[in-house]
Amino acid sequence: MSHEYIPEIATDRDGNKHEVQGWQDDFYGGKLGFWLFMFTEVLMFGAMFMVLAYYNTLHPEAFIEASASLNRLLGGINTVILLVSALTMGLSLLKMRVGDVKGAKLMIWATILLAIAFLVIKGFEWRAEYNHGIFLMHGEMLPESGMAFGKKLFFGMYFTMTGIHGFHIIIGIGLMIWLLKRINAGKVTPAHHILHWNIALYWDIVHLIWVFVFPYYYMIGAGGVAGGH
Amino acid sequence: MDTNNTTIDYKKERVAYYKVLVGLLLLTAVTFIQPHLFMTESTFLAQMTIAVIKAWLIIMYYMHLKGDSLIGVMGIFSLVIVATFMVIVIGFDVANFQFGAESHITGPASAGVEHATPVQH
Repeated sequence: MSHEYIPEIATDRDGNKHEVQGWQDDFYGGKLGFWLFMFTEVLMFGAMFMVLAYYNTLHPEAFIEASASLNRLLGGINTVILLVSALTMGLSLLKMRVGDVKGAKLMIWATILLAIAFLVIKGFEWRAEYNHGIFLMHGEMLPESGMAFGKKLFFGMYFTMTGIHGFHIIIGIGLMIWLLKRINAGKVTPAHHILHWNIALYWDIVHLIWVFVFPYYYMIGAGGVAGGH
Repeated sequence: MDTNNTTIDYKKERVAYYKVLVGLLLLTAVTFIQPHLFMTESTFLAQMTIAVIKAWLIIMYYMHLKGDSLIGVMGIFSLVIVATFMVIVIGFDVANFQFGAESHITGPASAGVEHATPVQH
């Protein structure tokens, strides 16, 4: 069976038809499409926050006590790391846009290192919690254990949401390495940088999710039970 | 609207990035001191308010939504949809959950140390 080439046709505002040579220059379309993807991320994490809020209304005191037992120092360090990484990623895009490709690549590498640091710290945190018997389907989290049910719900959501967030960080590292390869191959340039723009947006949404994950899990118990809701 | 052809004022944009960074760092510091300093009776509300301000800074400046009305309207529309469902689910459905007594989740907390002293992990 032969495959006949059928050109894609775009029509301009005056009704003239043109054969499409490529969509690489459709900067706004590329950005808009990525924003649509990010809204699906908001919906996914929004649903998880809804579940969290529901459980919280059922077991407010257990949630505050469980939150107070998390390591706020490590959580805070990770918050600052993500914050600085958002800056380095933003600066990498800015440098790309003004033509400083080498500077842009350096900033992407800085972002990758910060992302790895985030994961390492998160790993230490999870390890400490595991050693205390707090992990999904393990020790204190098992149905027969004596831990308060509200705390089980809290920690179950904590591992689920920080785990999915961590998975997004890993994907982000992969995307940044791919971006570096595309820059080296000359496929992403100061004139065609939509891929860079969208990966920077992805990194911002990962940061944005943490902006809400951190206070909800680590800080609501900082004032003790008297802190209330 | 940003396009590939937009003229970029590198210094101005870089300064804006650093200003936002300082703002976010200050707000993070406020996050830590808030439970001991202000709104101590409503930590959750205070923390979420700070988070919303941080999110606004990130969306407007790091995600370049400032001046991009189309995506901005889309964002607000999506958030309104999520908020509406949240109100319906939490405010009406959950508040009037008719199987609360039989549900494992909504039932009374199981035996255990419900109010034990928190232990740092």
